[in-house]
Amino acid sequence: RPHSRPRHPGAGTMLPLLLLLLPAAHGIAQLEYTPALTQTPELEGVTTASTFVLDQPRCVFREYGNADIWLVVALDQAAYTFNNSARPGTPETAFQDFPDPVRAYMTLNATLANYPCPKPAGDITVLRVGSETSCAQNATRPTCNGPLPGPGPYRVKFLALEGSEPVAETAWSEQIMLRTVKSSSSISTTGSGHSAGMIAITTILSILFAILLAGLVAMLVFWGSDSCGGSSTFSKPESVTVRRYNTHHVYDQPAARL
Amino acid sequence: MAKSDDCVHIFQGLLVFGNVVIGICGIALTAECIYFVSNPHGVHPLLKATENGDIYPAAWIGIFVGLALFALSILGIIGVIKASRTLLLVYIILMLITFAFEMASCITAATYRDSLTPELFLKQMLERYQKSEPANNSDNEVTQTWDKLMLQNHCCGVLGPSDWQEYTSAFRLTHSDADYPWPRKCCVLDAQGLPVNLDGCKLGVPGYYNSNGCYDAISGPANTHAWGVAWFGFAILCWTFCVLLGTMFYWSGIEY
Repeated sequence: RPHSRPRHPGAGTMLPLLLLLLPAAHGIAQLEYTPALTQTPELEGVTTASTFVLDQPRCVFREYGNADIWLVVALDQAAYTFNNSARPGTPETAFQDFPDPVRAYMTLNATLANYPCPKPAGDITVLRVGSETSCAQNATRPTCNGPLPGPGPYRVKFLALEGSEPVAETAWSEQIMLRTVKSSSSISTTGSGHSAGMIAITTILSILFAILLAGLVAMLVFWGSDSCGGSSTFSKPESVTVRRYNTHHVYDQPAARL
Repeated sequence: MAKSDDCVHIFQGLLVFGNVVIGICGIALTAECIYFVSNPHGVHPLLKATENGDIYPAAWIGIFVGLALFALSILGIIGVIKASRTLLLVYIILMLITFAFEMASCITAATYRDSLTPELFLKQMLERYQKSEPANNSDNEVTQTWDKLMLQNHCCGVLGPSDWQEYTSAFRLTHSDADYPWPRKCCVLDAQGLPVNLDGCKLGVPGYYNSNGCYDAISGPANTHAWGVAWFGFAILCWTFCVLLGTMFYWSGIEY
C-alpha cells in the first residue's frame, strides 16, 4: 500500500473502543425518581430549622448493586450547575465548608443493601438530613450529615458512584425550605380584648349599684317627710297612735280649761 | 288593718328570707375564696410569674366580703323585725359599701381571667424554660412547673411542640435544633424516664411524642378559680340588689 500512512499497531482496535467509551462517560443513567420530603406518615419534624426528612430511595437503584449511593445536598441556585464528576470526601464537597465556598456537599453514603426492595409495610423508612451534630465542625469528616446552616432553599438528588465514576442519578428534588424562626419577643401579650362575660358583669353591676345609690339618696332626701310617707302602711307596733293621741290631748286640755 | 298587717308581715318575711339567703351565700363565698387561696393546683408558679397580678386580691376581698355579708344579714334581720329606722339605715349604708367591694372583686376576677391568653404563657415559657442563667428562683420554678406539667398531662409546649420550632427560646440557646427539636420531656417516656424511641421522638412520629399543647391543662384551673369568684359574686350581688331595694321601700314606709 504505497499511499497509506504507517499506523500504530493497536490503532485499529483503539478507535472503536474510544467510540464505545464516549457514550458510557456521558451516559449516566437518569432515573425516573424525584427525592421528596416524607409525606406518610405525617411527621411533626419533617422540616425543622436545621434538618429535614426524605423518603429513602427504595426500589430505585435496583440495577446498581455494586454502587455507592450518595445524597447530594445543594443550594437551590447551585443545583443545576453541579458537576457529577465531583468526588465525595474531597474539599470541593465537604460539609464543613457549606454553603460558602462549597455550594453542594455529598453525604449519607449507602449501598443497595441499605435500601432493600420492596419496603416492608408499616416500617418508617426515612433519611434525616442534618442529624449528625458531633462531626459538624470536624474537618476530618467531610461527608458528615451535619445540621443545615440556614433555612434554604435547598435541592437534593441521589447519585450512584461505582468506584469513583457516576453511573446513575435521580432527578433534582423540588425546592426544600426549612422553618424560619421568629423572635419570641415578637409575641404580643396585650390587648386580646375583653370577653363578653366581663363586659356584662361590669355593665350590669354598675347599673345596679347606680340604682341603689339613687335609692339611698332618695331615702335620705325624703327622710321623715310626711308627704311621701303619707301612706303609712307599716306601723311600729305600739308607739304611733299613742303619740298622736297625746298631742291632741295636750292641745285640747287648755281649751277645755278656758 | 288586718289586711295591711298581713302585707306588712309578708313583706317582713320576704326581707328576712332574703337576708337569710344573703347570710348563707356570704358564708359560701368565704369558703370558696379560702379554698381558692389555699388550693395547691400546681400551676400557681406560672401564674405568679406572669406579673399580671393574680387571682389572690380578688379572692382575698371575697373572703372579707363574705364575712361582712353574713354579719350584715344578721343586722338586717334584726332591723326588719324591730322595724328600726336607724338600724336599717346603717344596714343599707354598710351593705352598699360591701356591694362596691364585691363589685370590684368580680370585675377584677373577670379581667384577670381574660388576661390569661395562650400568648402570655407562650412568651413566658419560651423566655424562661431551661434558662441557662436563671435570674431568680422563679425561673427555676417555671422550669420545674413546666416539666411536671408536661410529664403529668402528656402534653408539650403551650400550643404544641411546634412552639419550640417557630420561635427562638432560652431552651434553643443551649440545645441545638438537630438534637432537640423539642425538649425531651415532650417524648413518650418509659418507666425510667427515658424516651421510648428517641429517634421517633425527634422525627415527630405519632405515638412517640406528645403532640398536644398544655394550654388546656393550665387554663382549666385558672378558669374555674376566676369564674367561681366572678360569677358567684355576681349572682350574690343580684340577689343583694333585690333585698336592698326591698329594704329601702320598707324603711321609707316605717313611721316614726
